[in-house]
Amino acid sequence: MKNRIKVARAEFDMTQADLAKRAGVSRQTINAMELGKYVPSTVLALKLASIFKIEVSSLFKLEQEDWD
Amino acid sequence: MKLPYLFPTRYKSTGWIVFFPTLILGFLTVLYDWEPSWLDVKFPTLYNDPLIFGNGGWFKLVEINILNDLLGVLMIVSGLFVGFSRLEDEDEYISKLRLESLVWSVYANYLVLLFAFLFVNGMSFMWVMIFNMYTILFFFIIRFHWKLYQFKNSVYEE
Repeated sequence: MKNRIKVARAEFDMTQADLAKRAGVSRQTINAMELGKYVPSTVLALKLASIFKIEVSSLFKLEQEDWD
Repeated sequence: MKLPYLFPTRYKSTGWIVFFPTLILGFLTVLYDWEPSWLDVKFPTLYNDPLIFGNGGWFKLVEINILNDLLGVLMIVSGLFVGFSRLEDEDEYISKLRLESLVWSVYANYLVLLFAFLFVNGMSFMWVMIFNMYTILFFFIIRFHWKLYQFKNSVYEE
């Protein structure tokens, strides 16, 4: 699954630490998501979308391999 | 995802403080077959099945050296505190590391046991079984903390 957390964060001029604090996770968890190493839970995905005031589907995109 | 059944955060440091001395003392006890006589006690047992002589049966008081039991209890309780206390910054990624490490340690533990089933025999196998009671917890603690160390030191990509 692809995500544009890093881009959204830049648009909101937020550091990973800022976003982590608002979402209630560690800075490293944000880092892992941005690097595509971790797919968040639905609750965390909804929290992130809410922080950036966008739909979850605008923040996360399924890739072909997610269907395989 | 927050995992239930975890101990409060403060239990972890208590766990470490008890775990290491118990581990060292446990190895020394096994190595030197240490059974100090002042720890010989009469202890209630659910079922006793004496190896050589004496009467077996349910609900008896048996004379044992309590050192092994004491170390075993301390090892298990402190190990559980070390492995299963909620971290201060526990989040869903750390919960994932915890669960993955648990699966990994079950596999590792039974691989060791399978190997021992096939290639270790006689009294040595009894020692394998004794150690195998604790290895699942050891494997979990080592694997979880190694992954946690890697995670905490993951490269900062601002």
